[in-house]
Amino acid sequence: MSNIKVIACSGIGKAMGLMAREAALQVTGKISPDTTETVCLAYVVSGDEEGAKKVEGCTCITIDGCPAMCAAKSVEHAGGIVKAKYRVIDEMRNHKGVDAGTGTALTEDGWKIVDELAGKISEKAAELTKEGQSNG
Amino acid sequence: MDEKQVGVLSCSGEECLGGTIARLATRKVMEVLRPDNVVTLCLPLYIAGGDEERDFAKEYPVIAVDACDKCCAKRATIKYSGAVKDSLVLSDILGEDAVLSKIVSARDLKEEHYKMVDKAAEEICKKVDKILTD
Repeated sequence: MSNIKVIACSGIGKAMGLMAREAALQVTGKISPDTTETVCLAYVVSGDEEGAKKVEGCTCITIDGCPAMCAAKSVEHAGGIVKAKYRVIDEMRNHKGVDAGTGTALTEDGWKIVDELAGKISEKAAELTKEGQSNG
Repeated sequence: MDEKQVGVLSCSGEECLGGTIARLATRKVMEVLRPDNVVTLCLPLYIAGGDEERDFAKEYPVIAVDACDKCCAKRATIKYSGAVKDSLVLSDILGEDAVLSKIVSARDLKEEHYKMVDKAAEEICKKVDKILTD
């Protein structure tokens, strides 16, 4: 099976967008580089056929910063099979009152939350990879 | 809203270094260099149908900042709001090799990357200033 696509919203306005982006980079670049890869969300939804082909029919995990769920909606619209959807805002609920930083830079606490989220996503990716292998 | 507002819409591409540079340069212009005149528009929200973002782009001038020549931010703006006032493709000023090189986490950015951010931010500011003085 092809690598699982881990796609973040990268929303520019808030820390949660940066956290989503960094979690995707952590999973695809450091924790699970052999089984996952990321894709430019803007390219996927640009209307370019080649962009949509990057996710069409592929197993995807999306990471959104806020409840607007732009990455999940956009990947589904482009034909990606979204097997898991993560929202940074949900992670933040487990860390009430924590200052995670801004859309430019994260605090140490912000990075800890990113690492936790990336760990969860990597576990999910491993599970999906195993499922994919079992299903041939 | 102040009449002298310019929107900057960055691609933030996740597959190459240029996406990180585009994003950080845009944030720097908004936060540090032209805080009174520049707002950023969230590209994924804009594409997914965010009314506020699209209405802003219809009423105010927008500069699209793209990492590479696929120009996703520019194309999205034209598609949903009609036009961009100006645009910047980072590969034109930083070189394709640099822009398309492996993505770097914000955690691992080095001096050379911040220099690229500064250069890109400077170019965005030139375009902002031109729009404001026209």
